[in-house]
Amino acid sequence: MSLFTLQDVTVAYQKQAILQDFNLSIGEGELVSLLGPSGCGKTTTLRLIAGFLQSKQGKFLFREKDYTKVPVNKRNFGFVFQNYALFPHMTVFDNVAFGLRQRKVSKASIKDRVLRVLDIASLKGFEERFPAALSGGQKQRVAIARALVIEPDLLLFDEPLSNLDANLRVNMRVEIRRIQQELGITTVYVSHDQEECFSISDKVAIMNKGIIEQLSDPATIYRQPKTKFVADFIGFKNFIQFDSRRQETDGIAATVQGITLTVQQQDNDTGLVGAIRPDDLRLYPLDAAPMTVENAVQGKVLISTYLGRSYQYEVKTSIGQFTVNDDAAAAPLANGQEVVLEIPKKQIVLVD
Amino acid sequence: MRNYYKYLLILPGVLFLTIFMLVPIGMTIISTFFPNEAAADTSNYASLFRDSYFLEILWTTLRVSILTTIICMVIGFPTAYFIARMSAKMKALLLILTIFPLLTSPVVRSFSWMVIIGRNGLVNEALMGIGIIQEPLEILYTPTAVIIGLVHLFLPLTIITLVGVMESIESDLLTAAASLGASRFGVFTKVVLPLCVPGLVIGGILVFVGSFTAYTTPALLGGQQRVLSTLLYQNANTLNDWHMASILAAIMIVVTLIVITCMNLLANKLNPRR
Repeated sequence: MSLFTLQDVTVAYQKQAILQDFNLSIGEGELVSLLGPSGCGKTTTLRLIAGFLQSKQGKFLFREKDYTKVPVNKRNFGFVFQNYALFPHMTVFDNVAFGLRQRKVSKASIKDRVLRVLDIASLKGFEERFPAALSGGQKQRVAIARALVIEPDLLLFDEPLSNLDANLRVNMRVEIRRIQQELGITTVYVSHDQEECFSISDKVAIMNKGIIEQLSDPATIYRQPKTKFVADFIGFKNFIQFDSRRQETDGIAATVQGITLTVQQQDNDTGLVGAIRPDDLRLYPLDAAPMTVENAVQGKVLISTYLGRSYQYEVKTSIGQFTVNDDAAAAPLANGQEVVLEIPKKQIVLVD
Repeated sequence: MRNYYKYLLILPGVLFLTIFMLVPIGMTIISTFFPNEAAADTSNYASLFRDSYFLEILWTTLRVSILTTIICMVIGFPTAYFIARMSAKMKALLLILTIFPLLTSPVVRSFSWMVIIGRNGLVNEALMGIGIIQEPLEILYTPTAVIIGLVHLFLPLTIITLVGVMESIESDLLTAAASLGASRFGVFTKVVLPLCVPGLVIGGILVFVGSFTAYTTPALLGGQQRVLSTLLYQNANTLNDWHMASILAAIMIVVTLIVITCMNLLANKLNPRR
C-alpha cells in the first residue's frame, strides 16, 4: 500500500510550469530516489512534498489523508538540506533538540533521544560543539540526526552529499542507507548522481522536464530503460533510429536504411529506437573479422582516444556514428581503418 | 619577517587615531583630576554627583538616548525584515529611500520638526482641527521633541545595519526550523531574532552613542531642557569653564564605554556561537 500519493499536481513559477499533472506514489518503508539533470523538477517535487511549496492544482495524499493544505510545521517530515542548514547559533545538541523542543517533549526525554540519535549518527562527544567547528561530513550527520530525532513519518533528502568530497560521499551514502533500513523510514532522496541513486535506492524515478520517464528498481532501469532519455542518462551512448520492426522466430528484425539487425526480444518493448552501451559493442579490423559476427556493420574509425582501461573509438557507419569502448589490451586501431562493428543482439534495447 | 609588513597597512590609521583621538582624550581626562596643577583632586567629580541639576541632566540624557535606541529598534526591525525579503530591485529602491533623509543636514531637519510639532505647527493644527484636543500640545522644547528628532536622525542607520544582517540569514534556516515543527512565531523568536543580535547590537550602539552625544537636535528641539552635550557647550563657550566641560566630556566617554560593554555582554549571552 502506498504511503503517499501526488495526484495530478501542477507547480508553476511565474507562469512557467515546473510540474504539470505530475503523479507519484511511494510505498511504506521504501527509499525512492528522484534522479535527473538540473531543472528537471526533482527538487521542486521534494519541496512540494515537504510543504515548502504550494501546488497550483492537484492533491497530496498522505496515509489517505489530504495533506495538500497542511502547513510545513504540522507535517512531521524530516528534511535534510543540501547545505545542511544547521542553526549557527546553537550547539550540536540544541540543533538536534530543536524539533523535540517544538513538540514540548520533556527535558529528560529530549536528552535521552538526542543522545541516542547522536550515537546512531556517530556523533558522540560532539554535543557542545557549534556548527562552525564541524567538518562537512559531521555537519551532514548532524543534519540527518536533527531530521531523524523527531521520528518523522517521511524523510526527505535534497542532494545531501553534493557538498562532500568523493570518498566521504561513498561512506555517507552507505550510512544513510544503513540508518534508513534500520529505522525503516520511508525516504525520498533527490540527486543528480546516478551511481549514488542506484546504490542507495529501492526504486529510482528518472525525471525529465517535469515528468517521470521511468520509475523502477535500479537494476531494471539499468538493463531495461524505457525511453531514449533514460537510456541516454544512464550511459547508452549509441542510438539507432529504426524505420520498422517485425517479429521473427529468433527475435525482432529491425530495419534501418535497408540494413536489418536482429534484436533479442525483451519484455514488451514497443519502441523503434535501438540503444546500445559503448562497452557492449565490438570492433574487428575488416580483414581479421571472425565469421560469426552478430549484426555486423561495416565502418571506418574516425577518432580513437586512450582511456586507460580501454580505447574509445568513434566509428562511422552507413547507419550512423557509434562510440565504442574496446579493450586496451588488443592492438589499437588506427584512424581511418576499415572495421567491422558487431552489435550483439542481446545488448540492443528498444526504447521509445 | 615578511609578516610584519602587513602591520604597515594599519599604521596610518593607528597614527591618526593616536594623535588626534587617543592623546587628546587622554589629556582631557587626566586634566580633570588636576584642577590647579597641584596634587590630584577628585572633589570636583564628587560635588558634581551631588548636584541635583547635573544628575537631572544626566538622567534626561540617558533616558532620551535609551528611548531613542529602543524606538529605532522597534520601528527599524520590522521595516528591515520587510526590506530584506524583497527582490533585489525592490530592495535597492527601498534602501535608497531609507538613506534619503541622511542627505539633509540635522540642522535643516530639526528646523522642519519645529514647524511640524510647534505650538501652531502641523500636528497641533490637525489634532485641534478634528477636535481631538482643545489646547495645543506642548511637544516642542521637551525631551519628547528631542526623541522625535533623534529617531528621525538615526532610523536610517538602524535599518541599513539590520538589513545587512538579515540578508546574511540563509532562507533555508527558516524553512528548516519550520520543517522541524516551529510555528511562524517560533521561527522568528528561535532563529531570526537570535541571528539578528549582532545587527541589533551594532545598530544599538550606533544609535545610543549618536543620540547620547548629539548636539544640534537637542539644542534646537530641546529648548530649556539641557542634555549633557548642550551643558558641556554652555560650560565651555558661555561660562568659559573649561575644567567643568572636560569633566563632562570624561563622564560622557565613561558612560558610553559602560553601555557598549553591557551591550556586548548581552549579545554574547543571546548569541553564543563562538
